[in-house]
Amino acid sequence: MRRLFITVCFWSLAALPMPVLADLVVVANPQSGIAHLSLDDVVNIYLGRYRRLPSGATAEPIDISDNEMRARFYRGLVRKSLPEINAYWARLVFAGKTRPPLVVESPEAALRRVVAEPGSIAYLERSQAGRQAKIVFELND
Amino acid sequence: MEKRTRWWHGILARSLMAVVGIALLMGGMSSLLVSRMVGEQVHDQAVIKLGELLDTVENTASIACFVADEQLARELVQGLLRNSEVLRVSLRTGEHELAHAERKVGKVGPGRTALRTLLTPSVHRVLHSPFNADEVIGEIRIDADWAVIDARMDSYSRFIGLLFAGLLALVIAAAAAMMLFLVIRPVKAASDRLHRLDPASGERLVVPEGHERTEIGRLVEDINALSGRLVETLDQERALRRQKEIDQRKYQDLFDNAGSGIFVADRDGLLESFNRALVELIWLPHREEGTRRLTDTGWQAPEQLLALLRASLDAGGDGQLEDDFLLLGRRGDERWLHVAVVPLGDGSVQGTVTDVTQRKREELSARRLAVTDSLTGFANRVGLHRSLADLDPADAPFALVMLDLDGFKQINDAFGFPVGDRLLLAVAARLRGMLGDMDQPARIGGDEFALVLAGEHDREMTGARVERIAEQLALPYEMQVADAQSSLVVSASLGVALFPRDGVDVQQLLRAAELALNSARQAGGRSYRFFDPALQAAVEHRRRLEDDLRAAVASRELKLAFQPIVDLRERRLAGAEVLLRWLHPQRGHVSPEVFIPLAEEIGLIGAIGLAVLDEACRQVALWRGAGLDIYVSVNVSVRQIPDDLPPVVVMDILRRYKLPPEAIAIEITEGVLMSNVGVAQAWIESLRAAGLRIYLDDFGTGYSSLSYLKRFPLDTVKIDKSFIRDLHVNSSDRTLVEAIITMAASLGLNVVAEGVEDAQQLALLDEMGCGFGQGYHFSRPVAATDFLETVQRIDTELLQAGKRP
Repeated sequence: MRRLFITVCFWSLAALPMPVLADLVVVANPQSGIAHLSLDDVVNIYLGRYRRLPSGATAEPIDISDNEMRARFYRGLVRKSLPEINAYWARLVFAGKTRPPLVVESPEAALRRVVAEPGSIAYLERSQAGRQAKIVFELND
Repeated sequence: MEKRTRWWHGILARSLMAVVGIALLMGGMSSLLVSRMVGEQVHDQAVIKLGELLDTVENTASIACFVADEQLARELVQGLLRNSEVLRVSLRTGEHELAHAERKVGKVGPGRTALRTLLTPSVHRVLHSPFNADEVIGEIRIDADWAVIDARMDSYSRFIGLLFAGLLALVIAAAAAMMLFLVIRPVKAASDRLHRLDPASGERLVVPEGHERTEIGRLVEDINALSGRLVETLDQERALRRQKEIDQRKYQDLFDNAGSGIFVADRDGLLESFNRALVELIWLPHREEGTRRLTDTGWQAPEQLLALLRASLDAGGDGQLEDDFLLLGRRGDERWLHVAVVPLGDGSVQGTVTDVTQRKREELSARRLAVTDSLTGFANRVGLHRSLADLDPADAPFALVMLDLDGFKQINDAFGFPVGDRLLLAVAARLRGMLGDMDQPARIGGDEFALVLAGEHDREMTGARVERIAEQLALPYEMQVADAQSSLVVSASLGVALFPRDGVDVQQLLRAAELALNSARQAGGRSYRFFDPALQAAVEHRRRLEDDLRAAVASRELKLAFQPIVDLRERRLAGAEVLLRWLHPQRGHVSPEVFIPLAEEIGLIGAIGLAVLDEACRQVALWRGAGLDIYVSVNVSVRQIPDDLPPVVVMDILRRYKLPPEAIAIEITEGVLMSNVGVAQAWIESLRAAGLRIYLDDFGTGYSSLSYLKRFPLDTVKIDKSFIRDLHVNSSDRTLVEAIITMAASLGLNVVAEGVEDAQQLALLDEMGCGFGQGYHFSRPVAATDFLETVQRIDTELLQAGKRP
């Protein structure tokens, strides 16, 4: 019994973050012709450096308003906190002309947008990817 | 001589120039340094400021570069440019310039621009990706605005410059003031006073107030001390110069007016200066001034004169030299000049010239006089010696004749020396008349002449000539004597010596001639004799005898002998005559007739006489003590009277032996009475007064003047034995003796007959009434020791013979 308890505790501890640390993937429309994106490609596209896919089509990055996921994504991508990302964009938005990615409310909305717009890319839980979107980048922590 | 003084010659100007120069140099260098430091500082500040600016915008710039957002970039650079110190901003991503902004600036000089461009502080920074620190995404560059920095630096520089200028002005002013007040004004004051100062009147510089202990004070005191010393020296110098001028004037007068010639000449006789007297004295000819020489005139030996100058110069120091020089005039006159020179020490000599002609002539005549007989003009003895000096046996033969005028003394005494001199002159004239040119007469004494007859070597011929001379001289001399014409006669004795036979030098010859002359004189005069070596021997003999006599007197070799004197009337012994005997160790018996004259001649007679008297007294005292009533008679030579035998001494001796005066009789000869009548008379009278008896010896041989008998207080006369000897064969002698005896009796004098040798004579004497006798008939002279015996014998014989009837 005791052994069971220790095991449960262990698992509990182990299982608790599991859903948080679940792998995020970047998906794109399968018609976009993109098979794979590099880390730099993902950074450049999401942080406004350029909005163009390797195929030449205009890239449309989609951000998710879910702060937990969003923070996870940027941390995994460029090791920045969310306020830093926000300050970054604040300067560009106030003084420059570069726009931040389009923000949607949920991963499902993001997936719909990807399916709808061939140039869109979004980040999702791997489990949320489904068959309609193609995983082009896996974010490994 | 005052040098012209410009303002820049002054100490103030010089010090100020130095101060300004140094200050400018230092100030300039300091300014440069400070400016440089300020510049660098400004530059560094600008760089720091720009860096700080960049720091603030770096993040944004990297974002702008990352996204290549030109708008953001523009915003950024415009913002930076708003900073006043920023001139230009440029933001690049790789080759692409994202944004650029630049301030409009005013014109700046091209040099400055270039320099500034080169030196412009600018900051640039490489920009990294905001998401990947390793990725370079661009760069940003900011250039500073130099106008602003320059302006700041300029203001700094102006400030520093002003500061230095002010400082410099202050330093200069302070230095000038110090110099002016501490140095220049005191010095100037002292200098001005010094210009007007008359140190001779005792004025002195005053030490400026406050400078008592400064260098200026000391300088002033030193100047005063120096001026004091200078004034003192000046005074001394002035006094010295004045004295020198006085001396100079004095000596110049002496020099000009001196009777002696004075000159200064160099070693070649070139005259530097001389006085009038010199010109006149040495007949110095007129020549150009400065070219006249001491030797320009007629010196007999100019080279000796120059030698004198040179010797004096070479001797140096007190090289005073002098000599006499003969100067020959052009008219044949001559002058003896005494030149004395002394070196002056500068290579020249100073000399004096005096005319010594007179002295020289006197010297010459004196020299002549010294060898000349002033009366006859013949050579004198010195002259003769000189002319016969340095004879050599090889010289030509000659005869030296020495001649002596017989009887000259009598003439001179009788008529006085003027007559004698005239006679000598006449003799000299005759001699001169008989001499040849080569012969030489000389007068070597009062009436002695010497003749050098040249060439005479043959005895016969010389004898003939000398005889002629003698004959000529013997002729009567007619001359005025005492206002009457008289005929004087003198004859000559001559002695002849031949050179080289009789002597090879003047002494020997003169001696030989003199011996010959003496020989001729002894022969009675009026004759001549040649020198004979025998004469020399005789002289030698005599000289030895002299020596022996002296020795004999000293060693009492002379003995007394007593010859009895008999009273003929009483037929008894009355006394004895003391005689001297000299038994010479080699020669045997020497006669008193030989040694007494000798003793007289050599001055021994006094000592002998005294000793004889003493010994005789001693002896007679002994005899009289023995009861023999006798006296002794002692012979006294004329030479002993009066000083060698003063009456006082005679009386002393008598007293010593306690003898009555009648115990001694003094026998004198006529010579005593003739020599010096006054002295002899006094001497005789004092002895006579004392009670001594005086006998006159050898009566009849000389003048036998009866007046003597009358004038002198005599007791007794002794008739000379030459009359007694032939008494019995010669009637004239008998008459004479008889007359003497008669005369003596009438005068109250006793008579002693000397040399009574036999009874016949005694009988005759008895017959004539002669009182006393003495002779061999009675006794020979006997020694004192034999005397008593002799006395007894005589008494006996006389008694046997019986008394006179």
